[in-house]
Amino acid sequence: MSVNAPRSVTELQAIVRDNERVHVVGNGSKTALHNAHDGAASAELSGMTGIIEYQPSEYTVTLRAGTPVRDLAAALSQQGQYLPCDPLMGASATIGGTVACNLAGSRRYRYGGVRDFILGAEVVDGLGRAFRVGGKVVKNAAGFDLSKFLVGSLGRYAIMTELTFKVFPDAPSFRSLRLDYGPLEEALRAVYFINQSAFELDALDLIPGARGWSLLARLAGYDETLPQRVERFSSAMARETAPLDIEELADSGSLWNPLADLAGGCLVKVALSPKQIPAFEAALAGARRRYSVGGNVAWVATDEVDALDAALQKLALTGLCLRGAVKSAVIGEPIDNVLAQRVKQVLDPYNKFM
Amino acid sequence: MNRAFFAALESIYPPQRLLTRDVELLPYESDALTAFSAKPGAVVLPVNEAEIVDTVRLCHDHAVPFVARGSGTSLSGGSLPIPEGLTIGLNRLNRIKKLDPQQRIAVVEPGVINLSISEAAQPYGLYYAPDPSSQSICTIGGNIAFNSGGAHCLKYGMTSNHVLGMKVVLADGTVTKFGSESVEGVGIGPDLIGLFVGSEGLFGIALEITVRLMPQPEVYRTVLAAYDDLGRAGDAVSMVVASGLLPGAMEIMDRLAIEAAEASVKAGYPDAEALLIVELEGESIQVNTEFERLQGIIQQSGAFELRVAESEAERTRIWKGRKGAFSAVGRLSPDYIVQDGVVPRSRLGEALLAINALKVKYGLEVANVFHAGDGNLHPLILYDGRAVGALEKAEALAGEILALCINLGGSITGEHGVGMEKRDYLPAMFSEEEIDIMQALRRSIDPREIANRGKMFPGGEAPALKLQGLHPLEKAGVISRE
Amino acid sequence: MATAIEKCVHCGFCLAACPTYSLLGEEMDSPRGRIYLMKNVLEDKLAAEDAQPYIDRCLGCMACVPACPSGVEYGDLLVSYRALQEAERRRPPLDAMARNLVISTLPYPKRFRLAAQAGKLGKALSGALPLPFASMLNLLPDQLPASRPMPPVLPAQGERRGVVALLPGCVQQALAPEINFAAAQVLAANGVEVHNPPDAGCCGSILLHVGAEQQAQEIARRNFIAIPADIDAIITTAAGCGSGIKDYELLFKGQPDAERAIAFSRKVMDFSAYLSTVGMRAPAGFASERRVVYQDACHLLHAQSLHSEPRNLLNQIPNLRLLPIADAGQCCGSAGTYNIDQPALAAELGRRKVESILAVQPDLVVSGNIGCIAQLRQQLQSQPKPPPVMHIAELLWKAYTGSD
Repeated sequence: MSVNAPRSVTELQAIVRDNERVHVVGNGSKTALHNAHDGAASAELSGMTGIIEYQPSEYTVTLRAGTPVRDLAAALSQQGQYLPCDPLMGASATIGGTVACNLAGSRRYRYGGVRDFILGAEVVDGLGRAFRVGGKVVKNAAGFDLSKFLVGSLGRYAIMTELTFKVFPDAPSFRSLRLDYGPLEEALRAVYFINQSAFELDALDLIPGARGWSLLARLAGYDETLPQRVERFSSAMARETAPLDIEELADSGSLWNPLADLAGGCLVKVALSPKQIPAFEAALAGARRRYSVGGNVAWVATDEVDALDAALQKLALTGLCLRGAVKSAVIGEPIDNVLAQRVKQVLDPYNKFM
Repeated sequence: MNRAFFAALESIYPPQRLLTRDVELLPYESDALTAFSAKPGAVVLPVNEAEIVDTVRLCHDHAVPFVARGSGTSLSGGSLPIPEGLTIGLNRLNRIKKLDPQQRIAVVEPGVINLSISEAAQPYGLYYAPDPSSQSICTIGGNIAFNSGGAHCLKYGMTSNHVLGMKVVLADGTVTKFGSESVEGVGIGPDLIGLFVGSEGLFGIALEITVRLMPQPEVYRTVLAAYDDLGRAGDAVSMVVASGLLPGAMEIMDRLAIEAAEASVKAGYPDAEALLIVELEGESIQVNTEFERLQGIIQQSGAFELRVAESEAERTRIWKGRKGAFSAVGRLSPDYIVQDGVVPRSRLGEALLAINALKVKYGLEVANVFHAGDGNLHPLILYDGRAVGALEKAEALAGEILALCINLGGSITGEHGVGMEKRDYLPAMFSEEEIDIMQALRRSIDPREIANRGKMFPGGEAPALKLQGLHPLEKAGVISRE
Repeated sequence: MATAIEKCVHCGFCLAACPTYSLLGEEMDSPRGRIYLMKNVLEDKLAAEDAQPYIDRCLGCMACVPACPSGVEYGDLLVSYRALQEAERRRPPLDAMARNLVISTLPYPKRFRLAAQAGKLGKALSGALPLPFASMLNLLPDQLPASRPMPPVLPAQGERRGVVALLPGCVQQALAPEINFAAAQVLAANGVEVHNPPDAGCCGSILLHVGAEQQAQEIARRNFIAIPADIDAIITTAAGCGSGIKDYELLFKGQPDAERAIAFSRKVMDFSAYLSTVGMRAPAGFASERRVVYQDACHLLHAQSLHSEPRNLLNQIPNLRLLPIADAGQCCGSAGTYNIDQPALAAELGRRKVESILAVQPDLVVSGNIGCIAQLRQQLQSQPKPPPVMHIAELLWKAYTGSD
């Protein structure tokens, strides 16, 4: 296996043209995705970094795909802005990897995921062609929107070299609460209540504890209004959903990192709907987990991937392994789809990206 | 369309849902872009999914081009019939199959009217966010095809951002599903929803759509600011953005558009060169604070009048004027072209000045209505189609506006799509190779190129109208402009 | 006509408001489609008889007019087009008979009473009659009510706040004389002097509706003479009359008495609009709660923009609870002679209307128009416990007299 670190799009095109199999790597932070690619030339994008264009007044940013997510977040926060899909800040995660794996943190709850904030991209496809998809302005309806197609595409269709996102002004202040419930059903009822209420939460996660289930809720806004809003939210929740306890927590980045307590073992992302959680719980058999984004994303850490695979298959759910030694990063229900195959025929007919 | 194809259609549809007589076909000649009209070979009105699938398979087998049509409100000619092709009217598939307020989702058929979803969700305190101006009549199927936007998409996105799952029939008759009931949608694997939504009917027909619903904001604060200068209204938008506020909508109308809307809706708009509508929404406590800041900004921006909607009825009236503005221009001029370009927000002022210069150059009136928050311009070019050469002149002006948008780093369409109207401009935005790749993609899904043939791509078997003179198909009487 | 057609920009906003589009779901049966068909007929691109079934299916409810941002005067267009086509039109024999019956009886109360008596005989045979006749007969009650003669002038009670003439109308006189009786009493109770000119009668709208323009003019002229000029307003209790008279400008265009017609039409006001203007004196109301549905007549709501006026009147009645219904602005299917011309569609619209009315479980239903009242009564009669349907004037009179 040869390892290449292209410094430019042209070099990357040459790598794609000259090799039968190419495997793209950002900084290699998602180890599970790099297990089964023996014999493929590896293209590491860690050298293609940097913000190309950032105009805070346009709410848009364009950057190279190998740029660490941390660098982007730092640049945005200097201008009081953020990427609302809340890319997960692993030590070295790149923005390209974030898009390819469709990874978003808890704050995705408020405004949407990666697909909702990607505007355009430059890519190199399996034929070594470099081209642009989507646009660079916040609104564009011309041509097929292949930029969204790249979200979750796992590097199998084209290699992203440059990405454009929509960004938003960030809130100046945050407050976080933990609401404790007994059984899962009660915590879910509280989620449903919030879903139909006009409370605008910045994030909402669901976590299992020793004695029951808890909701973690975060409000974002102005310093001067937050105390009142927290009070209104707490009293409505106390009145309508009868929690055992409500406690205000010190707001921090690690509190809202859904992976903070999931070190060790194989890490798996599962997209599901809140009503699928009870069945999923029954099949999980005690793996460490956290439900993020109002119960729409499950993060699971387990040493028994095969068991999880079987459980997912039973429920017709798909999981994406991000860390750990697995045969295939995708487990559970397969993701093959006829429409995706048609795109593959055009972008990577020789299956260079596997 | 040959005899065998017709016979097969007759086996799917009873006579009252298979329209073939002139009197039945004429009303389907145009959508909301009346500069183009073409008589379809037949119109069918399916009432269920199976009929749609059978029809598409039949079209594929006989290589008959088809266009799916909802309420025919496309402003880019997206549902213009294909001469001698089949028009598939989907408006009778109008059931909301499921509404789950707890998970905030609805599952709908393609012919469901956009606003009907919000009406059905209303008792649960929810609504469907994308709000194109035609939301009282446009269908979700059409919204999917053209990734429709609306006044509120700066904050919450366009149609694509609100679709979680779909079942579709591809142009070759293959039926497939993708997405889920999770807000993650596809979640793992390429985002096929993002690819399908906005494909302008070239990939196939959406049969069933899962959309996400949003909680109705606790309060709206809708502000109407009047300016004696269009540029100043544009600057106000930049000031709002710079302040860190994120309004649900920011809209600008110029004098001509104000006059038309006023004549139509009597919204009580002030007499001004430009109006800026800014709408804040959310939790009352938060919005009240934002509103104070907004008032300060607007006062600084040189507005000569500031009005705040005091009731839901007043808010509705403000929006009704804005949403009816396109059609209201019908009161000022027998014909007009609605343009749909995007420029970077910071270059709005520049774009408006340039459009003013073009007005003078061409001697035509242009009314401006636009989604200022996302730089989406909707210049309405007024002309009288009965005057010789007037349409050509209007189209030339429209073309210059699009070129301007591209030069300023924007796009030829923000939300109406390329359709029939702008296919000649696609090469101005994408390279030959990029268009080739899109074409290849289209052919891999639709090898016979039957789905909405003649739209989006320049050239092809039904080339676009040139800016001067009659098109060959017009000369042949196959299509006509009125 | 050309202007109205040109104004249409084909945006489709009217589709959502159109009852026949909601029933049939095809472009030909929408306002936009009909305008397009009329255009093609006028430009000789389409035969008039091909377009006719679709034009005939239009209810003329005018719901598309307020929905139209471009300001297409659909009503003017339809009336002019129908008048133009009627001249050249040959109808199938049965339709022609029904239409002639309409033209020759409905505007004339005495003739109508006679026809109705014949109809009473015919009702037993209605199953054997073709549908258009059957539906016409269905509208008739078993027994025509006794007429309610009124004095030529009903004096105002208390301080006199206005002087009006009450337009007696046509069918309503025979089918429901109690409506105008109640209206006169309510007006008098509110300090309004009510004149009942003996020679006044039909306004001609129903004739205009079926395209009989000349007969419409003739019958309208009688009212110019019969109704004194020195009054504040001419009150109608039928929605169709109110909106039809507003079309006099069109009807009398180019006629020698055009100005007179316009002056006449400007004085015409619907009962509820006039009463709102003078302001209602507080009625006694009801002893216990009455749950009431107000059914908008299209020709009040869409053609005369009367929405809040009747509702405000009802809301002033103690112990009356006004219940909103789904799709309140949708036509009930009565639409002038529509339930005679298009019985199947009218019945379906009626069924939908009844469904949304019954959903809120009212004690009674009120409307401002005899056609809607007749249609709702007929559509409700198959229900186990149908709520009574009455004119808003009748309910107000009950509220004043305290009778239940």
